[in-house]
Amino acid sequence: MSDENTTTQRRWKLSRRQFLIGLGATLTVGIASAPILTREARLAVNQYFQTGGLPTPDGPASPFVWFEITPDNHTTIYVPKVEMGQGIHTTLAQIAADELELDWSTITVEQANLSQGFDEQMIFTFGSTSTMSLFKPMRQIGATMRVMLRDAAAEQLNASAEQIVLENSQVYLRENPENRLSYGEVIAAYQGDWVIPEDEPVLKSRDKWNMIGRTMNRVDFQEKITGRAVYGYDARMDGMAYGAVARPPRYGASLVRAEAGTASDMPGVIAVVIEDGFAGIVAQTRQQARNALSNLVLEWDGGSTMTQDELEAYMRVPEDATGAILVQREGGGAQPDGRVIQADYWTPMAAHAHLEPQAALVSVEGERVIAYISTQHPGIPRGDIASLLDIPPENIDIRVTYLGAGFGRKLGQDVGVEAARLSRSAGVPVHVGWSREEDLQYGFHRPPSHNMLTAILDSNDRILALEHEFAGGDVFFGNGLLPNFVGNILGNDPMTAFGANIYYNFDHRRVFAYRRPLDIPTGYWRSLGSFHNLFALETFLDEVAHEIEVDPLTLRMDYLPEGDLGERFRVALETVTDASNWGNAPTGSAQGLAVCYDRGTVGALVIQVSGDLENLSIDQAWCAVDPGLVVNPDGAAAQIQGQIVMGLSSAMYEELVLGDGLVSTQNFHMYPLLTM
Amino acid sequence: MELSINGQRYQVDLPEDELLLWVIRDGLGMTGTKYGCGIGICGSCTVMVDGQARRSCVTPASAVTDAEITTIEGLATYDDAGQEVLHPVQTAFIEQQVPQCSWCMSGQMMTAAAFLQENAEPTPEEIEAAMSANYCRCGCYARIRLAVADAANQINEAGTEGESES
Repeated sequence: MSDENTTTQRRWKLSRRQFLIGLGATLTVGIASAPILTREARLAVNQYFQTGGLPTPDGPASPFVWFEITPDNHTTIYVPKVEMGQGIHTTLAQIAADELELDWSTITVEQANLSQGFDEQMIFTFGSTSTMSLFKPMRQIGATMRVMLRDAAAEQLNASAEQIVLENSQVYLRENPENRLSYGEVIAAYQGDWVIPEDEPVLKSRDKWNMIGRTMNRVDFQEKITGRAVYGYDARMDGMAYGAVARPPRYGASLVRAEAGTASDMPGVIAVVIEDGFAGIVAQTRQQARNALSNLVLEWDGGSTMTQDELEAYMRVPEDATGAILVQREGGGAQPDGRVIQADYWTPMAAHAHLEPQAALVSVEGERVIAYISTQHPGIPRGDIASLLDIPPENIDIRVTYLGAGFGRKLGQDVGVEAARLSRSAGVPVHVGWSREEDLQYGFHRPPSHNMLTAILDSNDRILALEHEFAGGDVFFGNGLLPNFVGNILGNDPMTAFGANIYYNFDHRRVFAYRRPLDIPTGYWRSLGSFHNLFALETFLDEVAHEIEVDPLTLRMDYLPEGDLGERFRVALETVTDASNWGNAPTGSAQGLAVCYDRGTVGALVIQVSGDLENLSIDQAWCAVDPGLVVNPDGAAAQIQGQIVMGLSSAMYEELVLGDGLVSTQNFHMYPLLTM
Repeated sequence: MELSINGQRYQVDLPEDELLLWVIRDGLGMTGTKYGCGIGICGSCTVMVDGQARRSCVTPASAVTDAEITTIEGLATYDDAGQEVLHPVQTAFIEQQVPQCSWCMSGQMMTAAAFLQENAEPTPEEIEAAMSANYCRCGCYARIRLAVADAANQINEAGTEGESES
């Protein structure tokens, strides 16, 4: 991340279809629009998207991905996806480098920013769609530039296009591989304006790929390993100060009275900011700002009064099915008669516990704003800051930093607006970095959920029907991305329902959701509803297997989904049980098994444990994943390893406990994470 | 208050009770050392104080004015040509492709570097004991384990070469 790049205001010329050419002495090509959500993801977040509920970008005025090659033969790839640990910058660089035949050592990946002419609806990172949505556009840009460079080189070398070979950011004549020109040299010698070729360039065929599908080292590690990488908490500006914000004693409480008290006299205090139900301090150091908060005179009113007991009672599948929303139904008619096996599962409220808490540095300079924010979606804080200050969003330059992880939480952008408020009043750039306590208590949380599973078996222990009911808090609704009425129309939150469907081939399958909105902030947490729904479904299958004395693997194999999905389940299950020597756990150890389907990927997992419930040791995990094409195998493996650790951590230890209208869990001593 | 960090003396004009983490990060602008919890649990803020791993978020700066402090910015060295030479722990963390978001990794690497100074030939159990008090929310533990062992090997090989040359 460098200031030069973030402040560049480019000029663009629209060319053939959705391609744009950047004007200037470089070769810069971008692509204006592409489907951001895959078909599967669109379906999953309900038909609302397809009926025009979300704003669509206006025309191709600016690209959302572009590559620039400079005469020094360096290629910069500007991407709209935020690097928060998932390796997306590396993945996208690989796709680009492959199609454009780039030398890996000459590439820089830059986080593109709204001030560069970005459409804010295009620049967000959530829902596990980055690679799927950008795979084709990245290749289209690469192929377009490859053809442009080839044709330019052919002209400069007095050769035909067919004679030109592109390789490692260089061109040469097929018959003369010794004599090479760099891409940069071709660009430097180019006369006139670049023109996008009329014909759609042909993408490389799969057998010609040289980087897609290969493990490439992460492009961001040199910066990160040396401590030079800049995250939102690390952002700095000349003359900056530090802010702290007064927090309510209960969710939703209003600040009905606020006075500066003795806060202004406290050491280091630059400004006491009291406005519109908000109170905060700007001081020379973070500690001074936090200390002075307790000198404010504040009175809060109203807000949530919910306790943990009330939460657990509310978040239950009702016995009489009141308010049930049908999510899935296979096999008509009445539920069959038979032996009933039933179990229910409770999943507590949880925190993202990303190790970099919410952070933003904002400088309000009259009608203009510069904001460094650790965010998964810069469009949201830009809109919020624009509303706060009553200025056009275009005046706000949001500079996205690296993220010390996000897991969905950094879609909530409260901190950017807080810093903007404080900066406006104090007249200096203000950094607000939440404390761990603020992050655990005042973030939005993974909502709790209750899952009720019912199986009906015939006298031969054949499973005739499986019913899955779940009650959950909102994930997608209430986060400002959709108008409130949509939730009322749809009835259930589609993201809470992720992972709820039953794919096994039981004759009768029914899934019911019970929406349980809370006056506690809840929202996206890694994997969305899959965390509680899959845990409940797969654990319940083991309960059934135990009850009818069948091996859990056999039970799953007996009811594989029909068609291709069933075959993929079978292969994943066989692969993981072969690897883990299923059925032959060492003495004193036991193994458990699960399989799932989520957004196109099938995964199967075996965990081996030893000890007893009081002193359980998780000794090993084996995972087989069938995700289709993988751009970076080691990067994918790292994500799978991390998911297993985070899932185990949450299943074993993590619980946010509600006090009186506020989470009472304050820091890691009350919310331990799984360690090595 | 005067502090010695990465071999350089710094004059710090901050309140007496300021914690070392915030002096390093906010006061001196070396932001490689990270905040994670402020109560000494997660380990993101780990630096070396006289060679020992120490949680800077619970260490008053005034308590270490006589010590030599090393942060992640001082872990690498520079050769005669001015080129940055990464510490074996840093090299190993890249070779094993350890980090994901990397927020915790400065603390992980400082913990590992201090540990390997004390124990250059650790067993896997010793590595686990040394590293198990640092949180990694992205879940990179399996790779951290490999990288610390790898770094130990690099240090030992370098040591052996040094001996054979002398």
